[in-house]
Amino acid sequence: MSLRSLLKKEFHWSKHNALALAFVLLLLPAFFASTSVVFGTVVPRDAPVAVTPESEEVTDQELSIITGAFEPFSDPKRVDSPEEAERMLRRESVYAIVQVPPDITDPDNDNATFVLTVDGSITPFERPSQAIRAIMARALNDAPFLEADISVRREVVGTENSLSEYLVPSFLMAIIMLFAFTYVPYNLAKESNVLDRIRAESSLETLVLSKLIYFSVLMLVPILVFQGAAAYFDYATTALSVGSVLTLLLTFFYLAAISTAVMVLLRFGTLGRFVNVVILLGITAFSGLAFPVGYLSPVRKAIIRADPVHYSTIMTRSFMLKDAELSLFADWLLALAGFALLTLACVKLSAMYYRRTT
Amino acid sequence: MIELDSVRKEYGDVVAVRDVSLSVGGGQFHCLVGPNGSGKTTVFRLLLGLARPTAGTLSVPDAVGCGFQRPNFYPDLTVRENLTVFASLVGSPGREWRETVVDELRLRRAMDRPAHDLSGGFARKLDLALALLKRPDYLLLDEPLAALDDVSKERLLDFLSAYAGDATVLVSTHHVGDFEPYTDRLTVMHEGRVVLDARPEDLDLDGHDSLQAYYVALVREHERAARGEGHGPVGQQPGRSDGEPDTGQRLRGE
Repeated sequence: MSLRSLLKKEFHWSKHNALALAFVLLLLPAFFASTSVVFGTVVPRDAPVAVTPESEEVTDQELSIITGAFEPFSDPKRVDSPEEAERMLRRESVYAIVQVPPDITDPDNDNATFVLTVDGSITPFERPSQAIRAIMARALNDAPFLEADISVRREVVGTENSLSEYLVPSFLMAIIMLFAFTYVPYNLAKESNVLDRIRAESSLETLVLSKLIYFSVLMLVPILVFQGAAAYFDYATTALSVGSVLTLLLTFFYLAAISTAVMVLLRFGTLGRFVNVVILLGITAFSGLAFPVGYLSPVRKAIIRADPVHYSTIMTRSFMLKDAELSLFADWLLALAGFALLTLACVKLSAMYYRRTT
Repeated sequence: MIELDSVRKEYGDVVAVRDVSLSVGGGQFHCLVGPNGSGKTTVFRLLLGLARPTAGTLSVPDAVGCGFQRPNFYPDLTVRENLTVFASLVGSPGREWRETVVDELRLRRAMDRPAHDLSGGFARKLDLALALLKRPDYLLLDEPLAALDDVSKERLLDFLSAYAGDATVLVSTHHVGDFEPYTDRLTVMHEGRVVLDARPEDLDLDGHDSLQAYYVALVREHERAARGEGHGPVGQQPGRSDGEPDTGQRLRGE
């Protein structure tokens, strides 16, 4: 009953703040979507690569030699199963797979061909993978213990996207983050005008829950805008797939829950809004939003790997660019749902703290 | 009944309410009076569940409507939208009652104005309307006459007086004079304590010509006693031997 009432209030509120909402939900997303066209090149630094045996005849020693040979120009990970390597590629855990042929240390073996498989949708790795292929061929031919004449064949799997297309999911994620950490706190701060009455007649928890639900639903608007922009620019991206909508809404929900918990803890004041902006900047820097995580420094990479937004970004990218099936990310989606519940618990705790300190 | 039993509220080192015991109910028009900082608003916040007592217990029925010292409504919504949202939120008894409240408070011509555009008087009226929406058995109003013109004050007081026949009205104010003709019970607070709790007709005004004058004299006496200068509250013998002002126990019983 009270939830429906407060949702009704949010609708009335939106009518009176239509211009502000139009700016944040329509113009800003459209701007970000449009600016994706200015990105044409990329300078990579590092890339995780899966080193996997082509067949069962490949020995551990051969895999170890190749893994060692790759270390100077990439971040090789030894993966015993080609299927697992492929799964890692699709989940952006690696950006290329190197299949090691058998008998490369056999002195009687004259020729050996390595296959370097890359995902066409990971656009920032497209050109670097060409360079890596050449470097790899030279490094392997110079390596001791490898007697055969080695060649490297580069294979691209999946759709090849332009950099502009590649950045569309990143920009959509940026909008979601921006809204969660700037607009939601702004809206909560305005609620202080009526907080006493709401608390007396309902509860702080119901109030913030109504906002989280309402604004999560509103996030469909920028998703639609990006879908429209993608259609206008003829991008091969789909913002409206079940996976991408689910991921984006779930991501917004837990980010907005974090910003809400901060606002409640800091008693809806200006400090809470500033803290949220700082969190926004931190997450932007440490989520691997635009560039794959393998391109960053080891410390930054480690931080990013612990950031849920990083996994939200990968999933959004995979759903939007590759139309990935939900089952590929079922474990990540469950983990994000769990994280969303955790952030909701933080909101509850912050409300309890608010009451206790009033 | 609303019951407070030895309620104390501290904000850090500041004691806002000291061992207050009070009963409110019986369909009375009950005035809670005291100077700034005497603890009236804190008592209200405790009654509304907006603050937790540091010690003591309180019991408050569910059917409480509240008007706030600083009007509490959504400034971005119109008056009508505020009424609609809060009627739904508090479970208003029906549209007819809402219309009655709007008419009694003379809010109709402001119905479609954004609440942030309202004058102080209309803002107060809207806050009162929201307090009345659920037709509460207990109506708690903190400075309900603030910003109202004299005509509006009189209309509101008549309305509240009639309302008090069916329900209990607890009003917090600095100006007991406005409420004097309507008051069934008077509670005076000073520095967080209840220093007087009585029916006006039981009071010996001690030569003062009005309840307001008596109240002012009472507060001044307590201030002097607190400074160790006076002889206890109005109509009483010198203060207690421990130097604390007497809390007016003589007047609290009926």
